[in-house]
Amino acid sequence: MNYDSIVYLISASILVSAFYIQGQRYIMSMIRGQLVQSVLIAVASFLLAYLESSTDLLILGLLILILRGVLITYMLETRMPSRKSYVFEEGVNVPYLFLVDLVFIVIAVFIIYSIIFSSLVPISQPGNSSTLLFPLLLFFQGLFLITSRRSTFTQIVGYVEEENGLVLLAIFLLPVPIIIEASVFLDVLALVVISSVITVEKATHERMEELRG
Amino acid sequence: MLTLILETAVQFIFVILSAPLFAGIFARFKARVESRRGPSIFQPYYDIFKLLKKETLVPDGSSILFRYVPYVAFGVYCLIALIIPVLIPVPIIFTASADFLGGAILFSFAAFLKMAAAMDSGSNLAAMGVSRLASFNFLGEGALITVFIAVSLITGTDNPYTTNQYLVSNPSANITLVHVFATLAFFMIFLYETGKIPLESSGLQELGMIDESLNYEYSGRLLAVNKWSSYIKQYLLGSVLLNVFLFPWGLFSTSPYFLLDIPVMIGKWLLLIFIVMIIETTLAKVRLFKILDYLAVAFTFSILFLLLSEVMH
Repeated sequence: MNYDSIVYLISASILVSAFYIQGQRYIMSMIRGQLVQSVLIAVASFLLAYLESSTDLLILGLLILILRGVLITYMLETRMPSRKSYVFEEGVNVPYLFLVDLVFIVIAVFIIYSIIFSSLVPISQPGNSSTLLFPLLLFFQGLFLITSRRSTFTQIVGYVEEENGLVLLAIFLLPVPIIIEASVFLDVLALVVISSVITVEKATHERMEELRG
Repeated sequence: MLTLILETAVQFIFVILSAPLFAGIFARFKARVESRRGPSIFQPYYDIFKLLKKETLVPDGSSILFRYVPYVAFGVYCLIALIIPVLIPVPIIFTASADFLGGAILFSFAAFLKMAAAMDSGSNLAAMGVSRLASFNFLGEGALITVFIAVSLITGTDNPYTTNQYLVSNPSANITLVHVFATLAFFMIFLYETGKIPLESSGLQELGMIDESLNYEYSGRLLAVNKWSSYIKQYLLGSVLLNVFLFPWGLFSTSPYFLLDIPVMIGKWLLLIFIVMIIETTLAKVRLFKILDYLAVAFTFSILFLLLSEVMH
């Protein structure tokens, strides 16, 4: 059995799920996409825990499943206004978003590949440093999701996606740095508090509107 | 040498003559699924013969382009039929004239000629359809060419015959990530190029028509030639999908056995028709401006996995 290709398959599915989220108009499908992405990351963590016989990764996978898969999805769904299946964001131009996202990815691949990989130590099992590409691509896609949309829920999903990128990076690096495990908790805490506050206040945040005098 | 000539002749004649048959089988099967009796599977032939006997009307003010482009486009599709593995899995006489990208560019060339001729008719409805086609094709053609580049990266060559041989001899190459997603992207392009239902419903309805608008002003013999060449185009794209992407096995190349390729190819086409029929009968047509979203997804898949194929080496 070639575990290398399975790791690649899961990583590529995570990337595709990021594109899925980017292309959605309805908030609920975006939240569901985030759920799928988190579950995929948990699966990657379980697979590597099995390959490396590492308890750390097993615990991390469980944490991702509970905190990101269940808690954040539940929290975001309860914050949605009534008739939540119909809440959507206007002015989403999918071809434009996809093309810009692709340009980002192509540039990011070149930069990451040529600069960063010389200094990072990759995980031993996948045998190839290119798995480290996927967390960084996910991170950039999260950033782009935040900048390209105005709905608060979308921006929270983008934030979660960025965090997913960090967690994926932590999974692919061995040993798992304790700081990232801790930050998972802190992020979830901050996310729950902050998003509870800002979604109650208003549902869309325009560019720079809070900073204008 | 005799085998080579025979193979060339068999492939050429089979493609030209059988292309309308698959459209007929598809229409019949679809009708059966929808609990209709449906037309005979030879209906496309009857249509072509009927149109050949009818009077040809040419719009006032149209130029020589309008009258001769159907024949030129037909010739281009006939040329493509000789250079890609649509029936015989080994190179035949004219194969060396172009590679995969050459085939893609010939497809684009024929599409461009047809668009220019439709514009030449001066009809408003044809112009509307052409403008739609032009604005969709920038993503469609891009994805088509990128898919071919992705395939050539897998095998290291741009020759479709080599790709076919490689996939037959390395079964594991058929389930690599890059190949699966290139197949998916090419299948999406196939549905778009042949005007299947999530994108375009056949029939002359002005609201959603894209490809049909190219035939809008044609009649008689010219319409027959145009229809025939779109059947050939559908056969060519579908056979590339089957032989290079989806199901490369089962074709014979040695001397007396290459005639067996004909039933094999028909069997493969029945598989493809079945898949497309499921899609056509379960999905609803998307709105016109959503087609760009669809093509953007196909383009994204092709670029993404072009990139990944390089990264994973």
